[in-house]
Amino acid sequence: MTSLKDLDDAQFAELYGSDRFTASVLASRMRYIVQHMCTGLLNNAFSLILRDWYDFAATISGPPEQNYPMSSVSNSLAMFLGTMSEAVRNTIEEYGPENLNPGDVVICNDPYRAGNHVNDVCFIRPVFHEDKLISFVTLRAHQLDMGGVVPAGFSGTKRNVYENGLVIAPTLLYRDNKPVKSAFNLIFDNARFCALLLPDIKTIYQNLLLGEQLILESVERYGVDAYLGAVRYATDVSAESMRTALAGLPDGVYEAEEGIDCDGVDDSIEYRIRLKITKAADRMELDFSGTSPQARTSINAGILDTKTAVGVALKFLVDPVTPFTSGAYRPIDIVLPAGTFISATPPDGAVFLYWESTGPVLLAVFRALEKALGRKAVGGDYGSLNIHNANGVLADGTPWVTTAQCGGEHGPWGATEAGDADSYSVVYQANNLDPATEAIESEVPAVVLRKEYMPDSSGAGENRGGAAVLKDTLYLTAAEHWSSPLHTKSASGVGVYGGRAGALGATWVFDPDYKNVPKEKDLIGTDPEVYAGSTPVAGMLDPRTRTVDPDGEYFYFASTPVWHTKPNAVFRYLTNGGGGWGSPLQRSPERVCRDVRDEYVTIEGAYRDYGVVITGDPHGDPEGLKIDHDATAERRAEMAVK
Amino acid sequence: MDAVETPVPEGLAVTREEVTADELAALGVDLERDFPGSSAADFRRYPVLTEGGWFTVVKHQKTLESVSRERGPLLGPIVLTSDGLDVY
Repeated sequence: MTSLKDLDDAQFAELYGSDRFTASVLASRMRYIVQHMCTGLLNNAFSLILRDWYDFAATISGPPEQNYPMSSVSNSLAMFLGTMSEAVRNTIEEYGPENLNPGDVVICNDPYRAGNHVNDVCFIRPVFHEDKLISFVTLRAHQLDMGGVVPAGFSGTKRNVYENGLVIAPTLLYRDNKPVKSAFNLIFDNARFCALLLPDIKTIYQNLLLGEQLILESVERYGVDAYLGAVRYATDVSAESMRTALAGLPDGVYEAEEGIDCDGVDDSIEYRIRLKITKAADRMELDFSGTSPQARTSINAGILDTKTAVGVALKFLVDPVTPFTSGAYRPIDIVLPAGTFISATPPDGAVFLYWESTGPVLLAVFRALEKALGRKAVGGDYGSLNIHNANGVLADGTPWVTTAQCGGEHGPWGATEAGDADSYSVVYQANNLDPATEAIESEVPAVVLRKEYMPDSSGAGENRGGAAVLKDTLYLTAAEHWSSPLHTKSASGVGVYGGRAGALGATWVFDPDYKNVPKEKDLIGTDPEVYAGSTPVAGMLDPRTRTVDPDGEYFYFASTPVWHTKPNAVFRYLTNGGGGWGSPLQRSPERVCRDVRDEYVTIEGAYRDYGVVITGDPHGDPEGLKIDHDATAERRAEMAVK
Repeated sequence: MDAVETPVPEGLAVTREEVTADELAALGVDLERDFPGSSAADFRRYPVLTEGGWFTVVKHQKTLESVSRERGPLLGPIVLTSDGLDVY
């Protein structure tokens, strides 16, 4: 196959309808357009999930005769990106491209047709040039509520699509640039918080117009043939880049297993992904046969979410440099039976916490390819968004809701060849912001008491995994809570290249009768003895002390499906730790000492995990710490023998 | 609380159908020329999800080279609750 770079000018022009420079400019401009659409949405969004979480993505797709290639994606929520090429194709093919007119917007939020969950509504705008359909601009944006039995939707306990929320098949939302009132009524008669949804949808619509306008300006300047050629060129570049990257991996069959703790009915079933990767030359096949059947509640993912996880994992591991387009999948085939918990089917396979199930898909790819990647292997992250969804009523009767703000949504990544991992990010499949504490506290009757790192939770290694995050939130009113830590039984922070796994996380709730934080004007401590007074929500815990213990008992997140609390209750989330890279014995004593100074590692942890002997007082005199080099050499020699 | 060792239900699988030499020949495959040393037993037919959506492929299992790729249903194996409903 001739490389794109080896095409001569005439060949290039014949393939792509323009010279090479123009095609590159147009491909870059498409990325500029989707980014501009996102900036417009971010600047004008009203609801917290868009404004504070960046929970949206924009894409450009080509026309039906090109089979809807997705030529550019925004630098935003990665979990959306692999679903959106199918979302556009499936929505428009069902609606009928022949039924589209300039001025239309079509929506769809069905997880089985378009991926993600019902709150992630796809808004698709056809772009016409001289009465010919040439493209689609799409914004998928999380709507704060889309009906169902749980306000704001985030719950792992909903049992089917009927409890899950409103499913919208491909539906016209705007015609001739005017709202279709029946479509708005369909949403607003089923969803909560419509006073927020309406301005958000109007903002989304305006940014679709912006995307359309910028595409048409591009066409006017460079010609429609060059534009359509650039759509294909952008995806061809991705395909070639992925092919080249795959060719660099050793051929072979690579297998891995991963999973989540359980679903929302009981803890009697563990859900496991079985992955077999076959790699030959510049092609790869990922077969998920053997994966557990779909769960009984809304922890499932859809087929397209699994496709995203595969794409994100492979871009992350083997082809991280070039922009993501649908072309990245060209050398990859996914073999996936329907009806598993990562390919759920309607009406019983409710899809909501889809990233909790596809995070392990990504992790399974990481695990499977570890040996093939060698030094390029990447450690696992904290594995679960630990999303917390709560709602209640203020004293004046105003309802409030918090979603994905006050759980363990942010945490550590795994280490790489390049260095230590970040300790406060979002899971690999996301690419979001962290809601500001001030924003949370200004809108929700909650106080974020702590966001701090847990010493000795990082996966030890020559390069250290990120540290687990401990987060406490005080709820000032009575509230009902849905907690969803789904990866607590085993480490998600997988260690690679000789590195060790990160520590396990857990979740607890502290009743105000045990400790009334506002009254006592004192935080709940972090010493082991405080947990005896807690109610465990999830995790592997010592049943007596209720502290984290990998050999303890499993405490089940939905043992109480809805956690009802009195005013001044505190939820505590501890994320998993990130995986280490390389042997801990190869980490220089100076770097370990710096970790002790910064309280990522304790003096005891330095000795136990790294074989580094340090004396001094990290808290009282952090700059006075001393390395005992002789004792360190002795300890490391002992550890090396073991 | 239950112990951590919970049962894992038997997983689901995609069936890879066998392909005959005649079927390969009908696809224009000359085994000796195109896949020296291989027989029809080295090929399988099964659905895959890829860049352009769902396809049914006939693929040489060792090299992953497809000798046929036919477009599958739009949603692949998904059956919607509304499928088959005739509203006209």
